[in-house]
Amino acid sequence: MPSVRPFAAGDVDAVADMFQRLLRKSRLPASADLRAYLRALFLDFCKHDPDICSRVHVRDDGTVSGFLGVLPFDMRFGDRSVRAAACGTFVSDTRESDPFAGARLLRDVLSGPQDLSFTETSNDISTSMWRSMRATPLAPYSLEWLRVLKPSAFLLAAAAPRLPGLKLLAPLARGADRFVTRRGGQQAWIHYSPAAGRADALVDTEAENDEFAGLCLEFAGRFALRPDWDQTTLETMLGHAERKALHGERVQRVVRTRAGKPVGLYLYYGDRGGIGRTVQVMAAAGHEAIVLDRLLRSASERGLAAIRGRTQPNLLQAMIGSKFAFLQTSATLVHARDPELLQAAVNGQAFLNGLAGEGWTRLIGDRFG
Amino acid sequence: MSDEIKTTVRTFVVENFLFGDDSQPLASDLSFIDNDLIDSTGILELVGFLEERFAITVADADIVPANLDTIDRIAGFIARKQAA
Repeated sequence: MPSVRPFAAGDVDAVADMFQRLLRKSRLPASADLRAYLRALFLDFCKHDPDICSRVHVRDDGTVSGFLGVLPFDMRFGDRSVRAAACGTFVSDTRESDPFAGARLLRDVLSGPQDLSFTETSNDISTSMWRSMRATPLAPYSLEWLRVLKPSAFLLAAAAPRLPGLKLLAPLARGADRFVTRRGGQQAWIHYSPAAGRADALVDTEAENDEFAGLCLEFAGRFALRPDWDQTTLETMLGHAERKALHGERVQRVVRTRAGKPVGLYLYYGDRGGIGRTVQVMAAAGHEAIVLDRLLRSASERGLAAIRGRTQPNLLQAMIGSKFAFLQTSATLVHARDPELLQAAVNGQAFLNGLAGEGWTRLIGDRFG
Repeated sequence: MSDEIKTTVRTFVVENFLFGDDSQPLASDLSFIDNDLIDSTGILELVGFLEERFAITVADADIVPANLDTIDRIAGFIARKQAA
């Protein structure tokens, strides 16, 4: 009879094969790099809490036909320790012919020992499944923000995946963008020009993983429900996040007052002419707008056409009035038996997405050689 | 009792997976999977309904076609659970 069981080292090849075929849509065999990474992420990284683990669905003949990736997270709610499961990679080889596989995987994971389960990368099908399990979608965490910096370059970058030849028009686009920016003056949703303001009183500097991790811990402290990372774990995660070849060069910076006091940080990826991807923005209370402006300045100075990222409720207010656009691509959902935990998430008091999720992993945005 | 269960399950299936369309008779031995009546979300909804309506606990290992792929199989499964 088919079964669901914890993911083990012997399943890595089968899961890598499904990941490559079904999620990356590639006919090439899964590389040794991908196999090694799946092992490092879903086995080695998760050793500290072996009860909260990824699952595989196994057919009668013993072959693997489904996988749900789970990363255990220690969290804190006030003074209370909370065990959380960040669920991400969800793939089933037999979704059409055997709908039982996906259903059993999700049900098995959500009935685990954790206090809280969440996902930040749920597509429409997974969202329906999570909702059937009485999970709650979190709208303020489920939007993708987009800030256009250079309109012509943005149009080229948006169309380039389908029409690569358009890249030849890049010099023309740069000229058009210079014209728009010169004439634009005030802030507009189709372009960005740094405006004199409070952000001028701040500076931002490159940060190594150890410093960045320490400040993440500090800024996360303002959330009622937050990750309870230790410095070593967070540095390990930032080590994973060093490479996202498909998204571009990493930019990891801390924003400070001129006196040197840190007031925020950001981590994004992007190359000149492209659309940057933000993994994390954090700010001290009251400094959200300034930190976002420093992020936009950095992206603009580096020649990015636009930059995007995932919303967090504490940043939404600062984004309003700063010409951000919003769209929905995937959803954040949370499942908790304790109504207080659920309420904290619904009220926007939880630190979720990005580093508290799976956005930091190489599975999102990296190339496997 | 079994007929009652079948009627209740049939009503649920028609309302939730056939969007209320009962113009074609839904045979008790019609496979949900072979006829594309149900997907992964539908299975989770069906299991949730059975647990609530019939006061049973469905274990992960119970969620297999042998128990849940037709109205007949579901009725038999519920009867076994209630007798246990």
